[in-house]
Amino acid sequence: MVVIDHKEFRKRDFLYVVPFWLLSLIVPDPHLDHLRKESRFRRRDLFYLGALLLLPLIWSDKHLHHLMVLAGINGILALGLSLFLGYAGQISLGHAAFFGIGAYTTAILTTRYAFPPFVAFWASALVAAALAYLIGSPILKLKGYFLALATLGFGEIFLVVVREAHRLTGGVIGIFGIPWFSLAGFAFDTYLKQYYLIWGVLIGLLIFSKNLIRSKIGRAFLAVAASEDAASTVGIKVAQIKLGAFVIGGAFAGFAGSLFACVMSTANPEAFGLNLSILIIMMVILGGMGNLYGPIAGAIFLTWLMDILGKYQEYSLPIYGLILILLLISFPDGFGTRLNIRLIYLISYFGRKKRRERVEL
Amino acid sequence: MSFLSVEEIIKDYDGVRALNGVSLHVRRGIIKGLIGPNGAGKTTLFHLISGMERPTAGKISFKGMDIKSMEPHEISLLGVGRTFQTLQIWGNMTIVENIMAGMHTRLKGGFLSCGLWLPWIKRREKEALEEAKEILEFLGLLGRWKWPAAQLSFAEQKILEIGRVLAMKPELILLDEPAAGLTPTEVRKLAERICQIRNGGITIFIVEHHMGMVMEIADEVAVFDNGQLIAEGPPDAVGKDPQVIEAYLKGKRVNA
Repeated sequence: MVVIDHKEFRKRDFLYVVPFWLLSLIVPDPHLDHLRKESRFRRRDLFYLGALLLLPLIWSDKHLHHLMVLAGINGILALGLSLFLGYAGQISLGHAAFFGIGAYTTAILTTRYAFPPFVAFWASALVAAALAYLIGSPILKLKGYFLALATLGFGEIFLVVVREAHRLTGGVIGIFGIPWFSLAGFAFDTYLKQYYLIWGVLIGLLIFSKNLIRSKIGRAFLAVAASEDAASTVGIKVAQIKLGAFVIGGAFAGFAGSLFACVMSTANPEAFGLNLSILIIMMVILGGMGNLYGPIAGAIFLTWLMDILGKYQEYSLPIYGLILILLLISFPDGFGTRLNIRLIYLISYFGRKKRRERVEL
Repeated sequence: MSFLSVEEIIKDYDGVRALNGVSLHVRRGIIKGLIGPNGAGKTTLFHLISGMERPTAGKISFKGMDIKSMEPHEISLLGVGRTFQTLQIWGNMTIVENIMAGMHTRLKGGFLSCGLWLPWIKRREKEALEEAKEILEFLGLLGRWKWPAAQLSFAEQKILEIGRVLAMKPELILLDEPAAGLTPTEVRKLAERICQIRNGGITIFIVEHHMGMVMEIADEVAVFDNGQLIAEGPPDAVGKDPQVIEAYLKGKRVNA
């Protein structure tokens, strides 16, 4: 039992407690994301939610809205990969392929067969998940570099198939004229409406992921990432858990792809290459492994960064690379995680100074 | 029919014979010690029983079932838990989560129901948390249940590993050198806990280098040397066996 003597808590202590409490409202605590929480939402989540709702209204700039739409789509992708890469500890270099499958499923269903986008939206996730299941069953037996190579190969095969299957996918040119996403007659035809649509989906998927992470499945993910041997000896089916993480990641990418197709109204193979796969991995790594808010923050950051750097044309890639290198040096375990660790150290440093914790064993 | 029986087990690693025709039995409800010099094949036997490796030849049965060709997770479902010589706790989780992850097979729920956080998942999680806290109380770690497991000391991590096995509600626990690297006080405490676990009706099969502890707590001791069983019986009889003293203790007498 930890016994803290509250009498020793003095007025002066508010000097650091209040600022830290305020800071803790906005800084995600990735390390603690998967720890058991008494309630599903905390003040921090309300803060994020409020900020998300108000942002486009306060800052009514079309370009910003569009950027946040893309950031949201990337955020869904990063969230799905975070479960697979950050929690279950497996690497995938072919995540963009599931994104592409989602986009093409929606494109084909809506333009060729006149399905409503809402149906296509669910169908995209189902198709992506089914494919992830088929691909994952054999290749998830591989580990580390070999898994990376196999998923890389899958991504490339997907691109080749899309480019060559002219009849179905329109080849290199792609498919045009995908309708706006609409629900019961309400069309999401402006960037603002799309913003709310996509961030709404993202929040739904985030809640799903949070639930997953704090349940037995989340513990199994982390167990498999830390030690497969130990996981298998407590009865966790390692292959099934890895496959599950892969399929969920694939389904999330399918949702994202479907939304992407509706927002851009086109689908062509250039958007779903290795570049995107690596970008998603960067979002997860920059945001922090083993956490859910970080990858979304990473997605917003990288989407903005690429947009800003777009002005500098041919210099943009070197600058982009330099910024990434600097960020990885200063925040090796993701900016969310690093900030949080500093915060914990600071609090515990000040806390230890005055208030002695008596630990009874 | 004995509880756990291993018959004529042979295990080869690329031409090296780690176990050479070993047969032994573990009765229900006892602490069975397994000792022997380094490389005698003790841990190999544990790997075979827990299904992490397959024997080259021989038979392993648990409660009358042949478990020789089962997967580790299937064997754990039958009620066999184990710890590792090289500590394998999950440092990326909290202490209580380590215990709750041990309950994995006893908690119902698939990917979808967990993601949607359906009412029965919520209820079971709550119960699991309470149960995990009870186990932590038994282990003396309850005060730090929310700590990341990686921040515990080495001895406490070893205790936590045993706790994780207990969370499975096993019938047989294989302990692989639980006392290695512990101070004498910690070893005494550990011995006490192991006896308590046995008194709770769980059979314990323990590989250990700490002779004093094995001789003190074990009801029966088996001795391996060079992949063969050289002695088996009550601790004091084994301690006096000339062959054991020759092979393992290098002439020193055991103080049982």
